Amino acid sequence: MSYTTRQVAAANTLDYKVYLEKDGKVVSPFHDIPLYANEEKTILNMIVEVPRWTNAKLEISKEQKLNPIIQDTKKGKLRFVRNCFPHHGYIHNYGAFPQTWEDPNQIHPETKAKGDNDPLDVCEIGERVATVGEVKQVKVLGVMALLDEGETDWKVIVIDVHDPLAPKLNDIEDVETHLPGLLRATNEWFRIYKIPDGKPENQFAFSGECKNKKYAEEIISECAEAWDKLIKGESVDSKGIDLTNTTLSDSPTFSAAASKEIAAAAPAAAAPIDKSVDKWFFISGAH
Amino acid sequence: MASHTTKATARLRMTQQHLTGSSCKFTTSATSANLSKSAANINIKDVSSVSRGSKYTTEYKNYAVDGQNQVISWFHDVPLNLDIEAAEANIVVEIPRWSNAKFEIDTKSPGNPIVQDVKKGAVRFVKNLFPHHGYIHNYGALPQTWEDPTHKDEALDLYGDNDPVDVCEIGSAILTTGSVKRVKILGSIALIDDGELDWKVIVIDVNDPLAENVNDIHHLYTRCPGLLETTRQWFRDYKLADGKPQNKFAYNGQYRNKKETLQLIQDCNKSWYKLITGQTKGQKLPSIENATLVGTPGYNGGYRTQQLLVGKDETDAPIPVDIQRNHFIPTD
Repeated sequence: MSYTTRQVAAANTLDYKVYLEKDGKVVSPFHDIPLYANEEKTILNMIVEVPRWTNAKLEISKEQKLNPIIQDTKKGKLRFVRNCFPHHGYIHNYGAFPQTWEDPNQIHPETKAKGDNDPLDVCEIGERVATVGEVKQVKVLGVMALLDEGETDWKVIVIDVHDPLAPKLNDIEDVETHLPGLLRATNEWFRIYKIPDGKPENQFAFSGECKNKKYAEEIISECAEAWDKLIKGESVDSKGIDLTNTTLSDSPTFSAAASKEIAAAAPAAAAPIDKSVDKWFFISGAH
Repeated sequence: MASHTTKATARLRMTQQHLTGSSCKFTTSATSANLSKSAANINIKDVSSVSRGSKYTTEYKNYAVDGQNQVISWFHDVPLNLDIEAAEANIVVEIPRWSNAKFEIDTKSPGNPIVQDVKKGAVRFVKNLFPHHGYIHNYGALPQTWEDPTHKDEALDLYGDNDPVDVCEIGSAILTTGSVKRVKILGSIALIDDGELDWKVIVIDVNDPLAENVNDIHHLYTRCPGLLETTRQWFRDYKLADGKPQNKFAYNGQYRNKKETLQLIQDCNKSWYKLITGQTKGQKLPSIENATLVGTPGYNGGYRTQQLLVGKDETDAPIPVDIQRNHFIPTD
C-alpha cells in the first residue's frame, strides 16, 4: 500500500499540483485511497496537505479531476495562513481523511450546523514534519468541533502509528499527559487563525472541549457514510465535486482511463514565498 | 578628499607607532568613541558575508568581508556606531527566527567567523520548546561590545559571559545569518546563564514598519502583546529539554528600559575597548586580532583573506530529523 506523489509545477505557484499515484497510476486522494488501513479499523490512512510550520494553505481540490492537492486561492492570489504569535504556520501536520465527506446537506444534531462540504480534517501530532501528499497511517485520539463561519468543521486529532509516542497515546486524555499544552494550543490556534485577515474569532462547539476517541470514531463513520452516498451518486446534492476515480469499479464515476488524462510529472523547485508571509501577528487577549 | 588624506595620515602614524614597538598608544582616558573614529571607514553597507564549508557541519564558517572582499572581524571591525540620541546601533545577525542551529561569532579564532556551536564534537541545535519553533527572534550580537568575565558587576555580584552582548531582533522579516542591520534599542533582560551574566537586548530593525511606533520597552506590551512574557519564558526554559535546570534572571526578570539599556551597551562597549586595547588581560579571553583598528595591539594590517577563505561555499548538510521534534514541558 505505498503511494507516491506526482508533482506538477513549482510549490507556491498557481500551477502547483500534487497528484497521488499507486504503481504509476493516478488515484484520487478523496475517493480512491481507503479510509481504513487495517481490517480492525484501528489504523486509518491520512492524506497530508500542509506540513507543520508551513503557511501555504494546500488542500485536496474537490473540483479537479482525480483531486490533486493545490494551493487555495482568494481573488486569484495564493492563500497563506498568517502566523499568530507565538505560532509558526500550521502547528500540526494537517490533512484529511480519504473517503469521508462533511455533508453540507445535513445539519449535525449536536453542533446544530451543516457540514463544510470537505473531507474530514485531520491534525497529526507526531514529532516528524510530514511532506505534501504523504499518506500516513494514523491512530485516532479525539476530535474538536470547530464552527468555522457557521459550518461544522471537525478536526480529528491523530498520531502517526510509527511515532515513538504512538504506543502511549490511546485516547484524548493521554494527549494532555504526554503532550501537555498541545490541545490548548490547538484550540487557540483554530480560534484565532483568521483574525489577522479581519475575520472574527472562530467558535468551538462543546465549549471547546476535545471529544474522546469513541466520539471521534462515530464522527468518522458518519462522514464515511456521507461519502459513500456521494460516490454512489445517492447524495441530495454533490456540490460540484468531481467524483472520478480509478479504482472503485462499482461506482458510476469509475474511469480506468482517467489516469492517462493527467499531466505528466513536471516538478520544479519551490518558488519564493512573499516576505509578508513571515510576519508575526500579535493578537490581544489571545492567551 | 581632504578627510581621506587626514584619515590615511592618522592611520599611517598609528601604524608607525605600533610598529616602532610601544605596545599601546591608547591611554585609559581615551574613549572607545575615539577608536571608533579610526574605524569609521567601514560602512555597514559595504559589509557582506562569505561562507565556507557546509552549513550544519563543524566545517562551516561565515566571514565578514569589506567592500574589497577582504575578511574583517564580525566582533571587532564591524562598527557598533551607537547613537545615544536616536537609540540606534548596528547588530550582526547570527540566527534567523524559527531556526534551530546555534550559530555564533567565534570569538577565539582568527577573523571571528560565525560558526555553529559544537558540543561533544557535534553541532548544536536548540530544541523546539512547544509551542515555539526554534529561536523566536532573529538572534545576534552587538559588535564592539563585550561582557567582561574578569569584571564583577558589583550590584549583581556576577561576571560577564566573555561574549559580545546578545540581541533579539523582533521585526517582521526573517533575517539571515551574517547580515548587519541598523536597529533601534528598546530594552533588555539580564539572563544568568550557568552563573554568568548574559544580557539579551531587545531591538527592532529601523526599517521595520513597526519601528516608528516603538520607542521604549513598555511600548511592546501594547504593540506586541505576549512577546515580552514569552521571551522571558523562552530564555528561562530553553535548556530544560537538554536536561538542564531553568535559567535565572537578575533584576527579578524585570525588563530594563531603553535608557538603562543604552548605559549597558556603553559599558560593554568600554569593556570591549579595554580588551581590544590590551588593557584587560586574562586567560581564555577572545582573540583581539583585527583588520581595521590601527594602533591596537591586535591590528594585523588586514587578515590573510586567501588563507581564511580556503575551500568553497558548499551546499547545506541535512538537519538531523530529530531536531523537528516538539518538546513538551509543563510550565506555569
